[in-house]
Amino acid sequence: MTKRLALIVSMIFIAAVALGACATTGKPTAANFKAPKVTLVSFEVPQYDEYWYFAASVKPTKGKAGDRGAFLPMSFLFDVGNPNDFPVLLEGITYTVAFDKDFEVITTNINDSYWIPANKTSQVRVSTLVTVRSALTGLLLANAPALKQRGWDAWGTLEKWWTGVPDLSVPVTVKNAAFTFKADGLIKVVPFEATVP
Amino acid sequence: MKNRIRGLFTLFLALSFLFAFSGLAAAQEIKIGGIMDTTGATSDVGKDYAIGMEEAFKYINEQGGVNGKKVKYTWFDYGYRIPEAITKYRLLKRLGVVAVQGWGTGDTEALSPTVNKDQMPYVSASYSAHLTDPAKTPYNLFFSSDYSTNARSALTAWFDKKWPTKKDYGKRKPRLACSYMFASPYASAPIKAIKDHATMLGFEIGDDQDVSLFALDTKSQIMAMKQFKPDVVWHGNTTMSVAATMRDAFGLELGADHIMNNWALDENLPRLGGEAAEGAIGATPCAFYGQSYKNMDIVVASAKKYSPGVPQEKRLIRTIQAWANALVLWEALIRADKAGDLSGQGIMKKGFESLRNFDIGLGASPVTYTPTDHRPGTGCLIQEWKGGKFQELSRVDLKQRWPEKWGKDWLGW
Repeated sequence: MTKRLALIVSMIFIAAVALGACATTGKPTAANFKAPKVTLVSFEVPQYDEYWYFAASVKPTKGKAGDRGAFLPMSFLFDVGNPNDFPVLLEGITYTVAFDKDFEVITTNINDSYWIPANKTSQVRVSTLVTVRSALTGLLLANAPALKQRGWDAWGTLEKWWTGVPDLSVPVTVKNAAFTFKADGLIKVVPFEATVP
Repeated sequence: MKNRIRGLFTLFLALSFLFAFSGLAAAQEIKIGGIMDTTGATSDVGKDYAIGMEEAFKYINEQGGVNGKKVKYTWFDYGYRIPEAITKYRLLKRLGVVAVQGWGTGDTEALSPTVNKDQMPYVSASYSAHLTDPAKTPYNLFFSSDYSTNARSALTAWFDKKWPTKKDYGKRKPRLACSYMFASPYASAPIKAIKDHATMLGFEIGDDQDVSLFALDTKSQIMAMKQFKPDVVWHGNTTMSVAATMRDAFGLELGADHIMNNWALDENLPRLGGEAAEGAIGATPCAFYGQSYKNMDIVVASAKKYSPGVPQEKRLIRTIQAWANALVLWEALIRADKAGDLSGQGIMKKGFESLRNFDIGLGASPVTYTPTDHRPGTGCLIQEWKGGKFQELSRVDLKQRWPEKWGKDWLGW
């Protein structure tokens, strides 16, 4: 009888501890879900291949000819602080990268998920790249009015970017960014924009 | 007492299992892929489309997804390059997507044999008529009237509404010239159809003018057109180069009206074309961003909620086009899932091909797909930029006007 009683008491104790643990983490509601804080910590070009471009008319040593230019990989490190008493899930980031503030060179996203613990700050690294070809396309299309307005020519601008972005003599902007956070089915989207340097 | 304790313990275990499995059920998800252009030759219209598509799937998930199953939407930029699109499609397939939201005509047509072999529903932003005959492309779809229907409808609207107002009306044949990038599968897709239509309506047709999608200076093409003296020019490119062509036509006093495909007529055309854009006429498969139509409030609220950093004044009709394709796929998935068959064939047969006059709102025509015809609509709304706003010029129904040709002759090209 004593053993049985001990077993029942133990089960009640375990259940109480489990429920208590849940209660202390706090339940997210629309009212108490505070927007996480996003900060751009650093920017780098992780691999640099200088500035070059080959038109499709140029025969390559190996492989197929094509309009191809140097890659410019870019890596952004963000601090993501969670001011809530419960963990939040960073579920995706959509963002645009712009050079010289006005020239948008890529809009992209990541769908990776990161848990940010309650009242902690985590770091999230986001990488993307553009090529001379893709940037040229942008300068001839979506960025054409801005290019004309500044009186710049496309090739000169590309060379300036490819030599200037790695050492940040050309400003790099993350804009139109949306960091999507989730907590217990609730969604909070944090807009973000920052320029380095 | 012993039995009661055993009972309690059994109940405890059962509840534990129940929680564990309900967690698994909640984790069920449907994977959808996206192949978008945010850096390539159509990025001037592709970026807004890509953002709009992402917003649509976020909204869909907030509405419970597909019968409670969450949609995991994963998209990539492919820079409007066909090899990259093929690579990204293979990646998406490896990731286990059940359907793809695609983009351009060149890549969609290049991928068509593959997606049809894979039985992968492929909803594209290419509305090429080549993708509408299920006998050839059974897994290709889109919500909009196809490019050939757009071209035929735009020319019909001009012929009905504008030609009778010209001084030479009744004295000679109207003259049509086409301006587009010859090498672009998108731009060249409806050329055969519009010329067929022009011939049927009694037009004289001039030489085509090759205008790059990147063109900023089209004076030589305009000068060549001036020799023919067209009454109306069909523009097959996207907004940037069409705006440039209209500016040059205005500056060089070409004196023609301008009709265009849906990827040229958007909110940026008057911004880039200025006074030269006055009177631009085009196919609009859906409403412009913010226009007062059913479900527009959802689109605008979602744009504000999910992309708060993107200024509202930068949003375009491309967002609406993305939503329309997303909503059609959503409905197909809901139906296929209810039928218990989320295979490619299930999504196609029990989903898409069960849609009859499905109303997605957003100013789009009701959508119907049958096992023998994937043209979603039978005509197109034609709008005109006039007096600082887009105005309805005509809603053309080709099937109603030419039922025999629509039924027998015009499918698939």
